[in-house]
Amino acid sequence: MSIFRYVPRVAVLAAAVALAAGCATEKTRYGDERGVETVTNEFGSTDLQTIAESMARSMQTAPVIVAGNLPILTVQEVKNRTSEYIDTRAITDSIRSELQKGGKVRFAVDQSGLKQQTGEIDRQQSGYYAREQSVERGQMVGAQYRMEGNITSIVKQVRDTKDVYYKFNLQLWNIRNGLLEWSDEKEIRKTTTRG
Amino acid sequence: MRYAWISAAVLATALGSGCATKKGFEVPGQAFGCPIGDQKIASMEDLVKAKVVMEGSRTTVIPTEMRCSRSGDLLRIDANLNNDSKTVKRVSYKFRWIDREGMRAWEEEAWKPLMVYDNSNLMVNTVAPTNKAADFRLVLRSME
Repeated sequence: MSIFRYVPRVAVLAAAVALAAGCATEKTRYGDERGVETVTNEFGSTDLQTIAESMARSMQTAPVIVAGNLPILTVQEVKNRTSEYIDTRAITDSIRSELQKGGKVRFAVDQSGLKQQTGEIDRQQSGYYAREQSVERGQMVGAQYRMEGNITSIVKQVRDTKDVYYKFNLQLWNIRNGLLEWSDEKEIRKTTTRG
Repeated sequence: MRYAWISAAVLATALGSGCATKKGFEVPGQAFGCPIGDQKIASMEDLVKAKVVMEGSRTTVIPTEMRCSRSGDLLRIDANLNNDSKTVKRVSYKFRWIDREGMRAWEEEAWKPLMVYDNSNLMVNTVAPTNKAADFRLVLRSME
């Protein structure tokens, strides 16, 4: 008996929720892909774009890039030492695109693309293709410099405030002699407060 | 008479060196190292006016100084932003790159957020992404 006493109230409440959900119209719009994004304080598109641009511009002024005759680079891993998931490959891809468009460097195939590269050469050497048009083994060009880096973060949180600090470090190493030819950092701080 | 000639020579040297101290105008088509084409730029204010574009919400943070140099064949820019208000201001900025024909030399950059403390200056600097970039505009908007 006592349970049935609440049934009308629950029904009214459920109907109200259903109505509210039904009335809440959803709107989708295109936005500025290059605008400042502050939806949350986790790593976002603005951080990715800012880091990529800053690193690529700085690297273009490195003496080995300025003096070199289109030096050949390869991209190695950017280690994610933050507490959140960050697609570091997206950062290095953006840096590589910006540098490539800048026209001051060339890129050799990196570790992640090596399997596809050698696979294609093997396929062309399989005997199914015209020999004169097939690429030969042993013609790939090795990189002179390798690009690697890391991203770290410090997160501090109290009741209503969350502060996130990111530090992205990128280095350019001379493969032949092991010298560090260029290095730079980009720091980002974001603070979110509630209320 | 001999003293008169010496005085004239000294005066001429002084005048000559006085003209040479007008920094930034040594090279035709440049002011403070920045490309100006055939624009008439007589002061830093003129240069800032020619190179800065305000978009969207206006900000009270204003560039007060701008200097350019070359890093290899790339244009390098330093711009001083000034916030003379009593509150911290948040702005975003980007550079627009223009080639010799006046066309866009590079795709639209991402807006970069910036915080400028009250009664403070902040220097933003950048390097052109390509040697095709012969000129630039600094675009600013408020994020308040």
